[in-house]
Amino acid sequence: MPPPQYGWINARVLRDMKRRKGVQEAEVMRRAYLLVARNQTLPAQVRHQAQLQLNGYDRYARPAEVKNRCTATGRGRGVMSEFGLCRYQFRLKALAGEINGVSRVTW
Amino acid sequence: MSFIAPARMQLLKRMQCSIFETSYNPENLRTGAKYLRKRLRGPSMMQYYPPQLNIPRLARQFPELQIDYLPESVRVEDVKNLKARGKGRPKKRKTKAEGKSMDKDKGKKKK
Repeated sequence: MPPPQYGWINARVLRDMKRRKGVQEAEVMRRAYLLVARNQTLPAQVRHQAQLQLNGYDRYARPAEVKNRCTATGRGRGVMSEFGLCRYQFRLKALAGEINGVSRVTW
Repeated sequence: MSFIAPARMQLLKRMQCSIFETSYNPENLRTGAKYLRKRLRGPSMMQYYPPQLNIPRLARQFPELQIDYLPESVRVEDVKNLKARGKGRPKKRKTKAEGKSMDKDKGKKKK
């Protein structure tokens, strides 16, 4: 078993963690309301009620609010999704040989 | 191609659905099935960041280890000093009515 890797936290990373937690907690109920609200075979009143329930959720329940930040520095931009690292951390770790299957190219 | 009556075509489709166990939906209404079909994203979302090492929490959970973490002890000392000077955190209201006048002031400030 590899040793656990500890990442950098700042306020923005904490906020993102909060969002992820909120999404996970609300996900099943939110899906159920979406199913009812988007179902055209159900009566309009039922669909409307489901939509109202959906509107009642705060933004910490919305999966679109979650942002993949750099796991090493917490940077929000220039993050390579395949590695979960921002471009500079990716460069540093790749040059140090810490990322498998990545090597420097010259041509 | 020869002409096939629409009613017969409909019948064929209904039979197709019963044979292949798909739902018969001639008007192509949206049933919201895609929200059931999609996998839940929460569990994988929670695994994105590596686990965090929180030393103060660790020290609180296992007092028998007697971990002395300087930043945390400094913080606790600071809070104690502030409290002694009467600059601690304000008391939380126990009932809704208790702090109502404060809420009213807040509303006025925003305007």
